[in-house]
Amino acid sequence: MVKNITVFTSNTCAYCQMVKKYLGAKGMTYEEVNIDEHPHRQAEAMKMSGATTVPVTVVTKGDDSKEVVVGYNLAKLAPALV
Amino acid sequence: MGDSKSIPEHDVIIVGAGPAALTAAIYTTREDIETLLFERGVVGGLAAVTDKIDNYPGFPNGVEGLKLAGELQKQAERFGAKIELGEVSAIEDQNEWKLLKTTDGDKKARAVLIATGSDYKKIGVPGEEEFYARGVHYCATCDGAFYRDKRLVVVGGGNSAFQEAIFLTRFASHIDLLVRSTVKASDVLEDEMQKFVKEGKVTIHLGTATDEVVGEEGKGVTKVMGTQDGKKVEFLADGVFVFVGLKPNSQFVAESKIELDDIGFIKTNPDLETAIPGVFAAGDIRSGATMQIASAAGEGATAALKIREYLEGRPHPVQN
Ligand SMILES: Cc1cc2nc3c(=O)[nH]c(=O)nc-3n(C[C@H](O)[C@H](O)[C@H](O)COP(=O)(O)OP(=O)(O)OC[C@H]3O[C@@H](n4cnc5c(N)ncnc54)[C@H](O)[C@@H]3O)c2cc1C
Repeated sequence: MVKNITVFTSNTCAYCQMVKKYLGAKGMTYEEVNIDEHPHRQAEAMKMSGATTVPVTVVTKGDDSKEVVVGYNLAKLAPALV
Repeated sequence: MGDSKSIPEHDVIIVGAGPAALTAAIYTTREDIETLLFERGVVGGLAAVTDKIDNYPGFPNGVEGLKLAGELQKQAERFGAKIELGEVSAIEDQNEWKLLKTTDGDKKARAVLIATGSDYKKIGVPGEEEFYARGVHYCATCDGAFYRDKRLVVVGGGNSAFQEAIFLTRFASHIDLLVRSTVKASDVLEDEMQKFVKEGKVTIHLGTATDEVVGEEGKGVTKVMGTQDGKKVEFLADGVFVFVGLKPNSQFVAESKIELDDIGFIKTNPDLETAIPGVFAAGDIRSGATMQIASAAGEGATAALKIREYLEGRPHPVQN
């Protein structure tokens, strides 16, 4: 079960829009952290993903375990949401 | 490819949802031709990941790629186009029906438009794969924001490399632009780039081959090694953005009767029809295309009108 979702995005990232659209279409709510607007949270995205890219989607499960999906990758994102 | 009985049937399936596909969908759906699009990446295609488009007609001050993509999508959906987020992995000619293998199962269509464009090429040097998304990138609008006040290397000498390097100047402290031979970018982009060269923000290195991306575990990319005039050169860098051309997204037709040119672009006749009757191709994926958004849109419109003609000349096949 999903407890909450955080999506790290940037202003110009088209793949971020796709993740947001996908979550929206699934009726899932999420917190968006835009690293252009909050550059100090960029390090958080890098720490979670090990990558210098957005989107990064962090799915926190009922037992507080986290699944991190780097990029717009439906093959990984879809199963992380169940 | 599965049991034909339960396979969903469509009038038109469009593979891709870039400018060519979305324009075609505006035309087919306005003609009441039921149309389903499959998009495995971003709706809007390469146009959506381009910072600013200055040469698409109707926008005297230019338009952000993401905005143009969003508007094209809205326009196509307004007339009833359906966009499915998924991939088409094979196509088979069954005469009146074309059978498509997709991430959402098999689908049948009376006509198909292939508008799959192309993807970024890799340089193929050591370190490129290892540091992918951890210092090596192919999309400036996606990943540029991670390089505020950092040193970057941009590889490539064509329009994309120049356009993306110009975009990256808003973040980077300095950019070394490595051009293997000579500059192939348009005069407009070269002039714009000269401003940043004069400011000392960009240094262009002509005749410079990129040999290796070097980095450290936990730290990411640290430098790029190259060769210039037969001598080894190195560039300190926190990240590398690669724009060395594009490769056609035509792998999924490899097993079909569709003919490709030497590079892998899809060959069509003047009606934009491929070697399979009823299967059309438009935009960057088409052999001979001019690789522009305006021409992709134009080809999308032409293909849609040719599809209408094709469908009009055929009775609707017997339903399942
Ligand atoms: C950095 C850069 C800057 C550019 N700047 C400009 C500019 O300023 N002006 C201009 O006119 N042009 C520009 N271009 C070129 C322009 O983006 C392309 O010509 C245009 O997007 C081509 O449109 P298309 O619809 O043919 O293909 P694309 O835009 O490439 O769209 C094809 C779509 O098909 C999808 N797809 C591929 N295979 C499959 C599959 N098997 N199943 C499902 N979906 C699939 C892809 O994910 C993609 O979204 C630029 C290109 C780049 C790379």
